[in-house]
Amino acid sequence: MNDYIDRFNTRERVLHWFVTITFFTLLLSALGLYSRLFTGYFNLFGGGQKAIIIHKVAGVLFFISSLVLFIHNRRRTTDFNKDDMEWFRYLGGYLSRKEIHLKVGKFNAGQKLFGVFIGVATILLGITGIFIWWPLAFPRWIVQLSLLVHGLLFVSSIMFVVVHVYLGTIGNPGTLEAMLWGKVSRAWAKKHHPKWYKEVTGE
Amino acid sequence: MNDTRKGFLIDTSRCIGCRSCQVACKQWNKLEADKPGKERVGGDAQLTANLYNRIHFMERTIGAGVTWAFFSERCMHCGDAGCIKVCPSPGALYRTREGIIAYNKEKCISCKYCVSACPFNIPRYGEDDKVAKCNLCQDRVAGGLQPACAKACPTGAISFGNRSELIAKAKAAKKTLYGEKDLDGLGVVYALEGPPSVYGLPASPSIPLSIFLWKDVVKPLGILGFWGSIGAMLLHYVTVGPKRPEHENGHGEEHHE
Repeated sequence: MNDYIDRFNTRERVLHWFVTITFFTLLLSALGLYSRLFTGYFNLFGGGQKAIIIHKVAGVLFFISSLVLFIHNRRRTTDFNKDDMEWFRYLGGYLSRKEIHLKVGKFNAGQKLFGVFIGVATILLGITGIFIWWPLAFPRWIVQLSLLVHGLLFVSSIMFVVVHVYLGTIGNPGTLEAMLWGKVSRAWAKKHHPKWYKEVTGE
Repeated sequence: MNDTRKGFLIDTSRCIGCRSCQVACKQWNKLEADKPGKERVGGDAQLTANLYNRIHFMERTIGAGVTWAFFSERCMHCGDAGCIKVCPSPGALYRTREGIIAYNKEKCISCKYCVSACPFNIPRYGEDDKVAKCNLCQDRVAGGLQPACAKACPTGAISFGNRSELIAKAKAAKKTLYGEKDLDGLGVVYALEGPPSVYGLPASPSIPLSIFLWKDVVKPLGILGFWGSIGAMLLHYVTVGPKRPEHENGHGEEHHE
């Protein structure tokens, strides 16, 4: 019996890391635009004007790749069910050390929420980004609102991403492997995604 | 700032719509002519990257007749300037000790945030893709001279000097003032002959709400939220701790405590 089971295939992993790279490029190139406290980050790109160009290019790449990732996972991230409500009630058991058993499929409710949020945020960041890209071509109120919404979505995305990174690495040992070489241990799958474990192994 | 703050007092009752101020501004600031277009006397005449000030001919009805109210438009040099609030490039837009909202095209990074943040829709971008607007003839003022428009005005509609003195004088003459207190005081104060709406001015100008929320609410809360979420994750790690899969029949993940 194999100790490991497949979780994400090569295409999924490459796409995920492509989205990751474009996301952090967007983040770094945006910092100087976000606040004058972070003007120094412009130097990473050779000045503000170049940072803006990089931000636009990375924006297009992120928009496409993140959207493809969202569409790829759409069925498994949007099918909220009763078990997910149970997950939300206990916040996945993350608030205590006590062992609780939740019925979790391939993605738990928190992962579904993250997936849907990033999907919606990608679309809205893209739309508002277009208005901010060509501010003179649109009514002023649309650009003003876009600047606010773009900033708000950026802030909430980065907070979601902090949680995502924590839970995908040190918060849940054994998870990162799924995104690095695609496989997880049986024990990990049984513990975190019992419904999915049953689905793929029949055990 | 009040002691050194300079400004305009524009008395609309004295303006005869001659546009001398526009000509003088163009000449002193070496601004190219705009290509003749759909521009006409009246409503849709606009400032451009080559036109820092403009007299608008505002039609108003008085009794049975129609008359013009002349309105000289330019950067207001706000005390609380939306353009400076949003400008991400230090030194691109800045305030001089005279209260002038000045700018340095070489530092402008063409983000155009100032266009969105201005309460009066003043900044323009021309072919060089850099900010352009009235700089209150910064160079002349620094040399103790009057700005070109004020110098050229034949009727005294545009007067330039210490802001507080100009206001005191206008108040003594019982003028209705616009811009004395708004946005921490405008650098261009108007003596109007009617309600601000006649001149196309907002009754109480302010930094656009979305811009205020973006820069004064979302921005600081965002920085707090970012570090807050990192702090929360660290706290979780040292209190609840990570969730490790158990060893199961030797099939579990190997980990050593």
